[in-house]
Order: sequence, then structure tokens, then C-alpha cells
Amino acid sequence: MAAPERTSPALRFENLDVRFEQQRILEDVCAVVPSGSSTVLVGPNGAGKTTLLHCLLGIIRYGGKITVSGPDDMRVGFVPQQLSADSCLPVRVSEFLVLGLQSRPLWLGLNRRNQEKCRDTLRLVQAEHLIEVRLGALSGGELRRVLLAGALVREPHLLILDEPAAGVDVQGERLFWEALDGARRERGFTQLMVSHNLPMAAHYATHTICLNRRVIAEGPPRSALSSSTLLELFGMPVHIYPDQCDDGEDACPQCGALFSEDHVRA
Amino acid sequence: MPDLSALYDLLGLLPLECMKLRFMQQALLALLLLAPMAATLGVEVIAFRMAFFSDAIGHSAFTGVALGLLLGIDPRLTMPAFGVLTGLTIMALRRGSPLSADTVIGIVFSGSIAFGLAVVGRFNGLARSMQQFLYGDILTISDKEILFLALLLAVLIIFQTFGYNRLLAVALHPAMARAHGVRVAFWQYCFVSLLALVVTFSVWAVGILLVTALLIVPAAAARNFARTAGGMLWWAALIGLVSAFAGLTLSAWEHSSAPCGAMIILVACAVFALSHAYARLRTP
Repeated sequence: MAAPERTSPALRFENLDVRFEQQRILEDVCAVVPSGSSTVLVGPNGAGKTTLLHCLLGIIRYGGKITVSGPDDMRVGFVPQQLSADSCLPVRVSEFLVLGLQSRPLWLGLNRRNQEKCRDTLRLVQAEHLIEVRLGALSGGELRRVLLAGALVREPHLLILDEPAAGVDVQGERLFWEALDGARRERGFTQLMVSHNLPMAAHYATHTICLNRRVIAEGPPRSALSSSTLLELFGMPVHIYPDQCDDGEDACPQCGALFSEDHVRA
Repeated sequence: MPDLSALYDLLGLLPLECMKLRFMQQALLALLLLAPMAATLGVEVIAFRMAFFSDAIGHSAFTGVALGLLLGIDPRLTMPAFGVLTGLTIMALRRGSPLSADTVIGIVFSGSIAFGLAVVGRFNGLARSMQQFLYGDILTISDKEILFLALLLAVLIIFQTFGYNRLLAVALHPAMARAHGVRVAFWQYCFVSLLALVVTFSVWAVGILLVTALLIVPAAAARNFARTAGGMLWWAALIGLVSAFAGLTLSAWEHSSAPCGAMIILVACAVFALSHAYARLRTP
């Protein structure tokens, strides 16, 4: 069960605007990410979710304002979907984790204290047994948890995740969300995550932002992920909470989806 | 200028007839400095998948030399300067353009070569001077250049001490590295500048045609032997040193009489073949 939302925002997006050439990617986006929350950003492909994260990371230029509240030495963790380097590189999980910790170059060995810290962090994401495995030898689910550990080992105040469990099987994705939720509860960081998994978002998020170039809805998942919002967001009927069907149409007895032509057109 | 005679005398103690000659001692010392530099930078070249990039820098040396000969400036100055300029141009275009990396490199590479050919074609006599840069000529290296290589090695050690982890993080995922506090642009520009310098000096040893191999082959073999990312750097340096020493010695062997650069690369390729077999055996 998701924890109740705290009120003070860790992040505030105000009138965010992004254009690539003539195309408007984000339009007047206003949203907040409550401090200590598990905020999930949902929306269709091309909605601007990753663009919003890139604005936050300072990778692309944007109009508007992003206010980050936190300590002066604010640490940010980022969990990507995949790694871009050659998977045949002999990088061990322990080495990947200490990249963010030690200034001593890897070719002079790992600091013992940092190794202990890596082990503790891997334990947190149920991946302690992978510490000496090569990154290229990990399964999809294992790699995602190691990437999560790579961000957590920095003890971030703000954790940003870009579809971190995409392409992982159901069991692996559930394990990922469970590990992430456990880590957030234990360490109290603020989390902003892009995800396409609505049921998982409904279960684990404390705050959701529904985005399709502009913010369609925002709030706790039970109110933000309503069937009408999701219909507007994806252009087709999606039911996360069956009791929230605010339409009188008959639903498919097999999957609960609505057939109405009006809905499809909408 | 420091006297390197003591070092040469030390190399002369090696139980090899060819090492009694001063120019061979100079060549060996230069290669012992240069080969591990190229090989360790090759680790990053492989991590960034930048083999084509180093090839472009190597070929830009051709234009650098042509420019030097044309302007009456020592080509050994214009070559590294033009190499660094080419490297920085490619990186700036890559960072600021939606074009793919290989397209950007291809454009700069072709433009640079075309310019070099135009210069060489216009002035009779330049083509002959270019030959030593095509095939390499480490046997003519001077004390001054060896001292510069020693200075470059010191810079490289400092760079690899502070930059190795950061560049590996950038190679693994640039956005993640940036979020985790790495100054991505700064380290990328430092890397290409240093790479350009080492590549242009490597042109001396093995020539423009084989320069990429001096970076890539030892690092690729190291990837097969090493069990860790840290160990890969040591393996690359070791393979670079062994290839350079064996290549130089074999080229001086009366039965081979092959160019030194070609022999160095052939030895490195043989080590790579061994490493490949080892990796196949190790992997179930």
C-alpha cells in the first residue's frame, strides 16, 4: 500500500516549454513532485516524459522554470533504461557501483570501505550475489536492479528513473518495483520515475503526473489515474480501478475494456 | 636538454645484436613510451566505440604534414596541431548536431583528406615527403621528440588517474554520468585532445595506414584477457609494450626485413588471436 503524500514539493515545474525545430514537445507544463514521494510520470510514447527528465538533468534547453528544493549538497541519482557501452567490456558490478564513489581510478583497485558500501546497496535491491559478475553477463532484470543500486549507492536525495524496468518480465519488474519501494522507504529520497506500467504505478506510486505534451492530471494515483483521464491520455479506454468506471457503457467481460466508437474516436 | 645516453646504454645491455645501434635504442625507447600510451587510450576508444574517430585523426595527420610542408613549418608541429583541431571539430559537431557520430566523422575525415590531397597534388615533390608518414619511420626519431613523448606520458598518467572512472561512466551512459556529477563535455574534450596527440605521434611509429591498429588491437586483446575494467588498462599497456618490443626486434631481424610499424601490428594481431582463443575457452 502506498504511503500518504507529503505536501512540500521537492521539485516544481512551472510553465515548462520545449521545442525541437517547429515541433512543440512540452507545452506549459506545471507540476510538482512532493518531497519524499514516489512520483510516477505516465503518458503515451512521444508525450515528452523523457524530455521532461532531460530538462531536469540540464541536458536540453527549455523555457519556464524548474525549482529544486533540498540541501545545498543535493545528490541526484539517475537510473537509465539500458547502458550504451559495449556489453563485452569487462566491467564488474562492483566496479560499476564504485564509479560514483571513489576518486581512485579502477586500475589501482577498489577501496575496501566502498566495496562494503556496494555490498550493502546491492543487498537493498536483492542483488548482493551479483557483486563480482560482469555487467554484460547480467539478465535484463538483474541489470535493472544493478543500475538502481548504481544510483542508490550515491545516497541520492532525488532519484530519477527513465523507464527503468522496460522489457523485463513480470516477475523481474515486480521485484524491481518492490526493491525500489523498499529503498525509498528506508532512505527517504524523492523519486521521479517514467513508467508505462499503470498497474504497478497504481500500486506503488504516491503521486502521479499524467503527461501528453501538457499535464492532463496530477495527484495520488487513485484520483489521477481515473478511467476518464486515461482515456484522454491514451485515446482508448483503460481501467486501472474497475470501480472508477464513470461511463455507463458495457465493458468487455474478458478484459474490462469499453467498445464504444465514441471512446475510440475520443 | 636532458641527456638520454644513460638510458640508451641501459637498452644496449639487452642481449640483442640490433640493440647495439644507437638509432635502434632511440626507436625502442620511443616505442616503450608510445605503445602503452596508445594502448591504454585504446581502452577508452573501445568503450566509446570510437575506432573510426581515431582513424579520422590518423588520416588528418596526412593533411597536417601537407600543410606544414606547404607553409614551410616543421610538419612535426603542424601534424599534432591539425590532429587536435580535427578531433575537437568532430567532438564539437557530434555534441551540437543531430547527425550520427559516424556521419560527422565521415564528413570531417573526407574533407580533411581531400584538402591534404589537393595540397599534395598542387606542389610537386611533396608526395615523396609524405611516404614516411604513410608507412611510419620510428628509426628517425630524435632525443627532443623522445622527451616530448615522456612529457606526454606524464600527462597521460595524470589524465588516466583522474579521468579513467569518469570516462568509463560517460561511456556507460552519458546522461547518467552527467546526473552523477561528471563534467561530460570537459572530459570528452580532454580525451579527444590527448587522443589526437597520441595518434599523431603514433603515425611516426606505424604510419597513417596502421595507426588505428596500434590503439585498437592491444585494447581489444586486453578486453579478452582482463577480468575487470581496471585490469583491462594494465593488460592493454602490457600487450602494447610486448608488441612494440617484439615488432621492432623482428623488423631488425635479417630474414624479415619488414617495416617496423607493420611488424608491431602483426605481433599485436597475433596476441589478439591468442586472447580470442583464450576468451572462447574461458566462456562455457
